[in-house]
Amino acid sequence: MIRQIAVMSGKGGAGKTSVTAALLKLLPEVVAVDGDVNASNLPILLSTQKLSENDFYGMDVAQIAIENCTLCGRCTEICAFNAIALDEQGNYSVNDECEGCAACAWVCPSKCIGMVPHCSGTNYLSQLENGFLLHADLVPGEDNSGKLIASIRAQAKQVATEKGLDIILIDGPPGTSCQAISSITGVDMVLVVLEESLSGLSDYQRLAKLIERFRIPHLVLLNKTGIDPDLGKRIEGVVGENGGEIIGRMPFDMEIPRSLSRRETLLDMSDYRPVMEQLCEKLLSC
Amino acid sequence: MIISVVSGKGGAGKTTIATSLAHIFQADYYDLDVDAPNGEYFLQPEKWTTREVSQQQPDIDESRCRACGACTKECRFNALYKIANHIYLTEALCHSCNLCCEVCSEGAISYKPVVIGKVRTGHSNKTWSRAIIGDLNIGSTRGTALIQDIVQQIDSSGTVIIDGPPGNSCAAVAAIKPADLVVLVVEPTPFGIHDMLQTLDILKNLHKTMVIIANKSQGDDPLMSLLAEHGLKLSASIPLQTEYHKALLNGEIISQCDQQIYQLLLQAVAAELLKQ
Repeated sequence: MIRQIAVMSGKGGAGKTSVTAALLKLLPEVVAVDGDVNASNLPILLSTQKLSENDFYGMDVAQIAIENCTLCGRCTEICAFNAIALDEQGNYSVNDECEGCAACAWVCPSKCIGMVPHCSGTNYLSQLENGFLLHADLVPGEDNSGKLIASIRAQAKQVATEKGLDIILIDGPPGTSCQAISSITGVDMVLVVLEESLSGLSDYQRLAKLIERFRIPHLVLLNKTGIDPDLGKRIEGVVGENGGEIIGRMPFDMEIPRSLSRRETLLDMSDYRPVMEQLCEKLLSC
Repeated sequence: MIISVVSGKGGAGKTTIATSLAHIFQADYYDLDVDAPNGEYFLQPEKWTTREVSQQQPDIDESRCRACGACTKECRFNALYKIANHIYLTEALCHSCNLCCEVCSEGAISYKPVVIGKVRTGHSNKTWSRAIIGDLNIGSTRGTALIQDIVQQIDSSGTVIIDGPPGNSCAAVAAIKPADLVVLVVEPTPFGIHDMLQTLDILKNLHKTMVIIANKSQGDDPLMSLLAEHGLKLSASIPLQTEYHKALLNGEIISQCDQQIYQLLLQAVAAELLKQ
């Protein structure tokens, strides 16, 4: 049985990638996924070797064959995304707002609109010392990020099955919307990295509700702790109310961002290696 | 005048800078990080009013539907599916595109509004202006639609600060498009710089004027030389300091508690505003 664990936070900059990179290095064998496809930072912290890369095609987009177009305008009327307008030459053309619904192609009486493949990014399979990493770069500004995450997660499952690896660890995106949903759908466990701040708490509450909806159990690593003990206590209470279990704490320490900037992981810091080792053990035993 | 604050990387300091700019310019503040909005903890608005935002989604009239399945075949988002003799909708997948209505030969599909989130507006005594918070329903995937709805109704007669979402996907683009000026917040680490380069692609494609501010800086040398290669310069740099983190974690506006930062941000942005 393949176990899938997603590292999430709600708030950006809470420490997802730092923690995921350390956990990845501690696991004997693993398939990793960088679910933050438009700000992919996990490969920066890991020594990886690219094995293959492939274009990612999201939704097909509309294309108008202007030689057959009668300028009737039905396409612009139906388009819900304002993606079709007259260009400078007086022809209808499709802009980058197109979400690929094909309503225009359906209503066009002269059938001059086709749906054509559209590359929205690149996905990569890379070798890790102890397994594999699936990651991707969305073309900046593109839609389809949720779909791209789903696609690299499907590849991760395939790689895990083929190679007989039984853990998939996902470094999730921030937020609680489509990309987050795509990252946690079907996982067995979520590890939340919760930054000790009002913002971190607020975003955790949103994330916890989302996770609850998917009926996934969650564990919590408190990060950047120890500055405001009252807030810390309040956060612990809220985690309890939301059914989370706190399985580790990392203090606020200016040495951590400094070390990360040198592309070191938390395992390279003697104070924090034991914390990460314990976290990894607890994560595996849950 | 609309100023959008964006970053690429999460946690770079968008809300830190955006709330400070709202404070400095006494501007209306729009939180468009709709699935993780945090600006209200800094601006502490009061006297809230709330408006719901809906999207049109298909409503199937069972008495007319023959369950022919044409709508499920044509929907490219797989939002409609057929089990036995019923058509069902997965709201989270629907893009409100109108196609299913067109496809249905029985006229069984009409549209009904479905709430995707709300917009809460309050008055902040810290900025003497409004704080408008986009608040996406939990579980909704329509964040970009909510951002676009709020953007359409922006009152830009005065100065407006938009606090954008992280990342470089369609949601970020929606928060960048209306801007007259973009403030790009960069965490000058290998991670922040990597993500910033992708945001720069978007900003260049949209021909946006920008002010670049480094935050949590541990020394800006690599960032400055990289920006120079792109013909850009760094307008201000805020150092990584425990004191700033302490202030921020409890929702203090950093320009309010540190006069130096007030001046730094004022000068960086005002210089560009004067040019415009």
